[in-house]
Amino acid sequence: MAATHSFPQLPLFDLRLEPQDLEAVAETLRSGWLTLGPRTAEFEQAFAAHLGARHAIALSSCTAALHLAYLAAGVGPGDEVIVPSFTFAATAAAALYCGATPVFAEISSRERPSLDPAAVERLITPRTKAVCVVHYAGYAGQADVLKELCDANGIALIEDVAHAPSATLAGRKLGTWGLAGAFSFFSNKVLSVGEGGLLCTDSDEVAAFVRSRRSHAMTSGTWDRHTGRTDTYDVTGLGFNYRLDEPRAALLLSRLQRLEAEITRRRELTVRYRALLAEIERIIVPFDDADVPSSSCYVIPIMLEEDGRQAEVSDRLRERGIQTSIFYPAIHRFTAYRERFPDVSLPVTELASRTELTLPFYPHMSHDDQDRVATTLAEAVAR
Amino acid sequence: MSEWRVPLTDIAISEQDVQAVLDCLESGWLTMGPRTQAFEQALADYVGAPHAVTVSSGTAALHLACLAAGIGPGDEVIVPAFTFVASASAPRYVGAEPVLCDVRGPQNFNIDPEDARRRITPRTRAIVAVHFCGYPAEILALRELCDEHRLVLIEDCAQAIGAHVDDSGRRVGTVGELGAFSFFSKKQLCVGEGGMVTTADEALAERVRLLRSHALSSSTWDRHRGHDPAYDVVDIGFNFRLDEPRAALGMSRLGRLEEGIAARRATVRAYRERLAEVPGIELAFDEAAVERSSHFAFPVLLKDRPTRDRFREDLKENGIQTTWYPALHTFSGYRGYAPPEGLPGAMAAADRHCALPLSATMDMAEVDTVVEVVRAAVA
Repeated sequence: MAATHSFPQLPLFDLRLEPQDLEAVAETLRSGWLTLGPRTAEFEQAFAAHLGARHAIALSSCTAALHLAYLAAGVGPGDEVIVPSFTFAATAAAALYCGATPVFAEISSRERPSLDPAAVERLITPRTKAVCVVHYAGYAGQADVLKELCDANGIALIEDVAHAPSATLAGRKLGTWGLAGAFSFFSNKVLSVGEGGLLCTDSDEVAAFVRSRRSHAMTSGTWDRHTGRTDTYDVTGLGFNYRLDEPRAALLLSRLQRLEAEITRRRELTVRYRALLAEIERIIVPFDDADVPSSSCYVIPIMLEEDGRQAEVSDRLRERGIQTSIFYPAIHRFTAYRERFPDVSLPVTELASRTELTLPFYPHMSHDDQDRVATTLAEAVAR
Repeated sequence: MSEWRVPLTDIAISEQDVQAVLDCLESGWLTMGPRTQAFEQALADYVGAPHAVTVSSGTAALHLACLAAGIGPGDEVIVPAFTFVASASAPRYVGAEPVLCDVRGPQNFNIDPEDARRRITPRTRAIVAVHFCGYPAEILALRELCDEHRLVLIEDCAQAIGAHVDDSGRRVGTVGELGAFSFFSKKQLCVGEGGMVTTADEALAERVRLLRSHALSSSTWDRHRGHDPAYDVVDIGFNFRLDEPRAALGMSRLGRLEEGIAARRATVRAYRERLAEVPGIELAFDEAAVERSSHFAFPVLLKDRPTRDRFREDLKENGIQTTWYPALHTFSGYRGYAPPEGLPGAMAAADRHCALPLSATMDMAEVDTVVEVVRAAVA
């Protein structure tokens, strides 16, 4: 990204594509076939194999994947979906799309800011249809414990794997623990393509449902008709246009080849970052060094020990050319959610969202830049 | 991949288009930013609408148009029964009920304003006027009808970018409160998956912009440029964003859109000339409609459904790809949506039509090939 006056000198993320990525897109464009076709099918197979999942279905976004995952779990009007509030709004919004109510559950701690299974258990009611665990920042939430809890209660576990395309828990890829996993290929993500998403599942039934609903519940696609397989189609229910297209599938397929190598680099840099950050007083660095090898290391979150200093520290860093973000403002505190769910109180989530800052991070970040972020942060916090 | 002698559609992506996408990818900025803004401005200028907001698909455009118009549970939206299914799905997404109305018939596939009038009830909030196959609906009459009954007029321009509503040069997407367009890969202006909402109303445009990106009070681009990292979520929005590579592709292709439409129209005229006197083939639409249409598809009419089905089989066996659109109420997912007296215009149009190959790059030799096979099929 060219540096201009108004741009941060150290951006939150910085995407670099390789010549072979560009070539893959150029070749697809020149082929003249742009809608769901052979490249999407090839990417889906490659991603399913990568995960060790039976099915991978490419979609227009992770929001779309969450929507279809909830629908596939049978979520409908009057139902409840238990979600964390310490996540992007889509995790909860997708429940509202289904006419259901998102029920916000507490996270374990600022050191381990993922869904607390004990809190989830307390919120299960006869109307609960699903629980969505978010693997925050690329680190595994307690999908194993939650899976048992969900099974015992006859409800579906959905995994929001937007941050964690190659992370594992007990050697098993995240996204494959629950009924379905929802991935994001948004431009700041570990595997990015612009806008895009994917749903993985081991269930043939869920896969068939998701394939149908991503393209208007039509019984055949444009490609099927082009290849002469079918002549016409039926519409069997209320579907959507949640399709990815071929240029994006080609870009994903090309980038998938380097995913593991890039994540390895992210892990090395994360270990180094963590060592630098460990020296800084009055901040909490979530997770442990031991978690890094199984994480996709999407972002570097820190929490300020003291409440009430987030804006000041963020401003200070921005003045020094360092962009930060908040992963995440608590969903239940947003205007749209306060209006609908005024009585939610989640003290740990609220404190985390008031004290979190996400630091610049990307696979080609230099050691000097890491040092600069750490030094500047230490100064800003010490003031 | 099957080898059609003449496929239904064909897209020619120029090297300039490819370069525009590669430049964007090289920049490393892929989510809504300067290219999307530039594309939106160019689209607004082209359509002649004060505001154009790009979205992820034509379906998303219709969905957000319904939301922006304030349509919700308990409302009815009048939708022609002869259209692509998304026209009727959109009201359902927002909890409203699509009320199917009839189209003029096989000669004119578009919504019949008189039948639309008959479907108006106290619960009706909007009419979705589809400009089917690129041919403009009777949009000025529908405008009057909507004004008379205080209804919102939503133009479904998914197949009709660049079509004219009259002889003044005014384009579709400027008459309704909202226009919904598609940039799907078969469309006149295609990028793969994509769409747009047009409107003259600043407040509606703002609402569509907000809802396409989770109703966030600031965007990734704003924050990248140094704005405050804090944001609010002020409504229940969606991820219906277009991305920068698609905006770059669309921008590059927009410059050749008029030329593409003119080529399509020339092909349609060549077809019509060659088919006018062929017994067993009837032409849909009249010369005035051909002049105003932006020609997404070229439909011809056969005597009845069995004849049409046999005709399509014949063409397929001879390497000519064709398609047809079923009427919505014949889908299993839309049974029960038709009025008890039926929708004869939509049924006749659906049963009798067959869309022949049409693209901006078709040459006269291909037209002649198709015509020859058509003649033999009806002989």
